[in-house]
Amino acid sequence: MSKSRSELGQILHGVSRDPLGLMGLIIVGTILFCAIFAAWIVPYDPVGMNIKDRLQGPSAAHLLGTDQLGRDTFSRVIMGGQVALKVALPAVFGAMAIGLTLGMIAGYGPKWLDNLLMLFFDTIRSFPTVMFALAVVALIGPSLQTVVFVVMATSIPTYGRVARTQTLTLRNSEFILAERAMGASMKRILGVHMLPNIIGVLAVLAAMDIPTVIALEAGLSFLGLGVKPPTPSWGALLKDGYSLIRQTPWLVVGGGLPIILATLGFTFLGESLRDVVDPKLRKQR
Amino acid sequence: MLIFTFRRFGLALLILIVAVTTMFLMIRAVPGDPVQIMLGPRATPELQARLTAELALDQPIWKQLAIFYGNLLQGDLGTDVFSGRSVTEIVFQQLPHTLWLILSSIIWSATLGIALGSYAAAHPNTVIDRITAAISVSFVAAPAFVVALLSLLIFAVNLQWFPAIGAGEGFWGRLNHLVLPAFAIGLSWVGYIARLVRASMLEVMGEPHIRTARAFGLSERRVVMIYALRIAILPVVTVIGVGMGFLLSSAVFAEIVFARPGLGKLVIDSITTRNYPIVMGSVLISTGLFVVSTALADLINAWLDPRARAAV
Repeated sequence: MSKSRSELGQILHGVSRDPLGLMGLIIVGTILFCAIFAAWIVPYDPVGMNIKDRLQGPSAAHLLGTDQLGRDTFSRVIMGGQVALKVALPAVFGAMAIGLTLGMIAGYGPKWLDNLLMLFFDTIRSFPTVMFALAVVALIGPSLQTVVFVVMATSIPTYGRVARTQTLTLRNSEFILAERAMGASMKRILGVHMLPNIIGVLAVLAAMDIPTVIALEAGLSFLGLGVKPPTPSWGALLKDGYSLIRQTPWLVVGGGLPIILATLGFTFLGESLRDVVDPKLRKQR
Repeated sequence: MLIFTFRRFGLALLILIVAVTTMFLMIRAVPGDPVQIMLGPRATPELQARLTAELALDQPIWKQLAIFYGNLLQGDLGTDVFSGRSVTEIVFQQLPHTLWLILSSIIWSATLGIALGSYAAAHPNTVIDRITAAISVSFVAAPAFVVALLSLLIFAVNLQWFPAIGAGEGFWGRLNHLVLPAFAIGLSWVGYIARLVRASMLEVMGEPHIRTARAFGLSERRVVMIYALRIAILPVVTVIGVGMGFLLSSAVFAEIVFARPGLGKLVIDSITTRNYPIVMGSVLISTGLFVVSTALADLINAWLDPRARAAV
């Protein structure tokens, strides 16, 4: 356990020495902090209305002004971060777990199963993401679970393909052959020997994938097909801001900037992680 | 090349068949009566009976699938619940708007990206190179619809340089209306393409065939522009082909933000009015478009670089 902790420490140390990585670390850290302690940070109830004070500009009382129902925009932005991560984290981890399993099976299992799984991956990838999302929303209705499902389904192939390639390369490496010669079970080979070699690459992919997921959730909520009101999501803020764009710019700014910041933070972090964890990947993209 | 073409399109066809079948089964797997869902609150017993017969829902599932494919091969994607017009006709009426938007976004971002990338590769570690790198990392992940909203706020509402809504009339009007949406969609691609071209250009310049071209005494300009760039833009072709789905997704949002006609607006409007045949028809057609464009990208790749023909 202490070994893996020092490894994690080394990775974090490497990331923080790179200026972009440090910036990413700070942004992501701030977002995580705000999301976790949102309930203590928000100055007002994010869904509490106050019609008298509606559509105000920024002031000391309301840092980012108020919306058409007099709700405090700053409080909604902070709470929106929590909603974004509630969608992004389970979706990304779920997709990673399923993609990893399927990819390892494809890479290690028989050829026909490999072909079948690859066809499955290619099929999912053949749907344009947003179109697929819209079709699913049209069929089963908008909700937080729908968004998580759509994101998971569409990003499984990415993880699956990478896990498969890694498994294929490792499969014929000497330490795996040695393990096989000693009569290790398939479960042991895959779980104990291959997994640790694959998971690093997938973690980097996951960090780079989170912005896409946050954007998709915000996009669907912007279209009114994601998280339901009055839940304060960044996309919902943008939706309100779009319809009131001629009255006040602050809703669009309040909803848009956090999304851009979050995507920037996770991208910086992901790029820097990639360089630290596996410099070889840099050339592949 | 011919064999490669056949194999690549064979794969595309297989993927398309699996995708369409999956979608067909997905619609059937949704709990509840599909006729009820399709007709929504408008369902009268007569309408229900008619649609049930039309969709052959009283038949076994494999027969339904056969009928569905039969109709599909004749270009029949069903009829609009409201107007009774054919879905194919409605979708293809909107499609050109979306395609023009995507095309203009690709053109400006690829031109700028390739220019910046080749310049950066020819002058590595100069100021322009560093700026390009910084911009590309910053913009690569910026979601198109947020960029669209912010540019709408700044350039259309505040500065009033460009129109905020619609597609415009006449050539210049259309062009003027294209600027902001195409900017929003293309922005994240500029840096991405520049980085891609820079990396592949640096790699290509070290290859033997470039050395041969130089040994023949060709001018450096000719070597770079004709022999190196030709190979170096290959990844751009692939990326655009594979990114077609991403571009389509961005276009959906740009159309909504700028209230432009197109596939995206059609789908969203149809979802709000629960007009399912149109939603499914649009998804099918855009999926087909995506699969074909990925295959085409591979073909262009193989045509430009014979080494790529060995794959697939």
